[in-house]
Amino acid sequence: MEEIIKVDSLTKFFANEEALDGLDLSIHSREIFGFLGPSGAGKTTTIKLLTGQLLPTSGSATVFGVPVKEVNSPQHLKKIGVMSDNSGLYERLSIYENLKLYCELYQVTTDRIREVLEMVNLIGEEKKMISKLSKGMRQRVVLARTFLHKPNLLFLDEPTAALDPVNSEQIHRGLRELNQNGTTIFLTTHDMREAETLCDRIAFLNNGEVQLMGPPKELQRQYSNGNIRLELKNGHEVEVQNNKEGAQKVHEWMSSGELVRIQSHEPTLGEIFVDITGRKLI
Amino acid sequence: MNLSVKRINAIFQKDLKDISKNIFVLSTVLIPFLFAFLYGRQGDVPLEVQFLIINIAFTAVGAFVQSAVIAEEKEKNTLRGLMMSPATSSEILTGKSLLSAVLTVVTMIVCLSITNYVVTDPIMLLSMIIALIFFISLGTLVGLMTKSLMEASVVSVPIIFVFGMGRMFQELFQGNKLVMIFDYLPNVQLEMLASQITEGASFAESLPYLGTILAWTLISIIVTVIVYNKSTLDA
Ligand SMILES: Nc1ncnc2c1ncn2[C@@H]1O[C@H](COP(=O)(O)OP(=O)(O)O)[C@@H](O)[C@H]1O
Ligand SMILES: [Mg+2]
Repeated sequence: MEEIIKVDSLTKFFANEEALDGLDLSIHSREIFGFLGPSGAGKTTTIKLLTGQLLPTSGSATVFGVPVKEVNSPQHLKKIGVMSDNSGLYERLSIYENLKLYCELYQVTTDRIREVLEMVNLIGEEKKMISKLSKGMRQRVVLARTFLHKPNLLFLDEPTAALDPVNSEQIHRGLRELNQNGTTIFLTTHDMREAETLCDRIAFLNNGEVQLMGPPKELQRQYSNGNIRLELKNGHEVEVQNNKEGAQKVHEWMSSGELVRIQSHEPTLGEIFVDITGRKLI
Repeated sequence: MNLSVKRINAIFQKDLKDISKNIFVLSTVLIPFLFAFLYGRQGDVPLEVQFLIINIAFTAVGAFVQSAVIAEEKEKNTLRGLMMSPATSSEILTGKSLLSAVLTVVTMIVCLSITNYVVTDPIMLLSMIIALIFFISLGTLVGLMTKSLMEASVVSVPIIFVFGMGRMFQELFQGNKLVMIFDYLPNVQLEMLASQITEGASFAESLPYLGTILAWTLISIIVTVIVYNKSTLDA
């Protein structure tokens, strides 16, 4: 599989504070990669390092096979889309006018505006001035802006943080569509459900280090204790082991009509995170 | 260098739409008009006053509007978007300079038609164009080194005093050694050049003035580009 991002022992200090501690990563072409971790874990710092907005203290990183130091050149930037905590909009201009500027900067036709507005569920709002928009709507405009030029590589820092579930779902559809058309997506989130449903692979970041990496389903299987969870008529939830004794119990509860529901019990990504770090994801 | 006119124009058009809704910044255009109206009615306007108006237009419109539009791009985090786009530094800086340059030229033409001053000498015209570039570059520098529109406005006040009205202070503190350096300010050089030319100075006699203004401009462009390149890095 082709590597689009390669990170090797990347370290970043701010003054004396270590934000990243020897990060190793490898992002494959055309995957949706989720970077998970609590606030202050170093997610935003990683995106800024990978897009040439910050210089690493030590270690190396390449994007499209070139050192990140050189990514800040037009020939590479036209293939990249970035949404970060420092992505602003022109407050006194409309949604359309904001996007039109970027069509010209990226040299794509303005027909694309309608398509990206559809992806972020903002059709019909294009004449509205940015200063009149809610936080969630602004975030969707910024997202639309990063979609305009169909980037090969998209960096999204908490793309759905300010969004309601309906709009998040719409954005996820948009991201899948871009991904199917060849865009590799590197996103950060602390939304476990987003990571589970959207990402091909995820990495848990804590205190500047990757704790765990892999496809969400595989991690869940790996961290599952194999138990089966049952819900009984009296409202209790019980877990039984997936063996002969467990089967015996299930049989008893089933025969006596006490059993309401059976489900396999896989840990959520949040539970796995707490399990390996002792920290909650917020 | 391969500049895309389309990108430069896109940034200019955006700024044009934006400034039409930004009364605070646009209102400084009134300052040189005010001076032109006050003095323009006195009939024969002395050269000193013409250059007071010209230099106020350079500072209060050129440098100030430029610092304001750059500082606001920083304050609202929109400069980052431009930097992360395929637009080159030269395209961004040129595009971001056009609005204040056009505004300054228009203001100056209108003001000077009120006060009846016509620039015909080619050396004088060239010097004024170079001075315009200096003031736009100075404004860019102020915008890049401040964090907000308000901060840029505050820093612009002493700039308007020194580079816009420096000549007035010079007269106020006559004889003071320190004020001697005021002689070398580009605005003062510009006025000296104008008075030399009215007295029939030759091309060779004009050159030192032109050279001084050009030196200010080149140095400020170099510093501005260095500061801009530094600002492509976050923190
Ligand atoms: N510009 C900066 N100056 C100093 N410290 C910073 C700066 N940016 C981030 N940090 C620190 O680096 C660590 C990681 O921050 P960040 O990458 O923003 O985390 P996340 O995005 O995962 O919440 C935090 O401890 C934060 O305080
Ligand atoms: Mg962050």
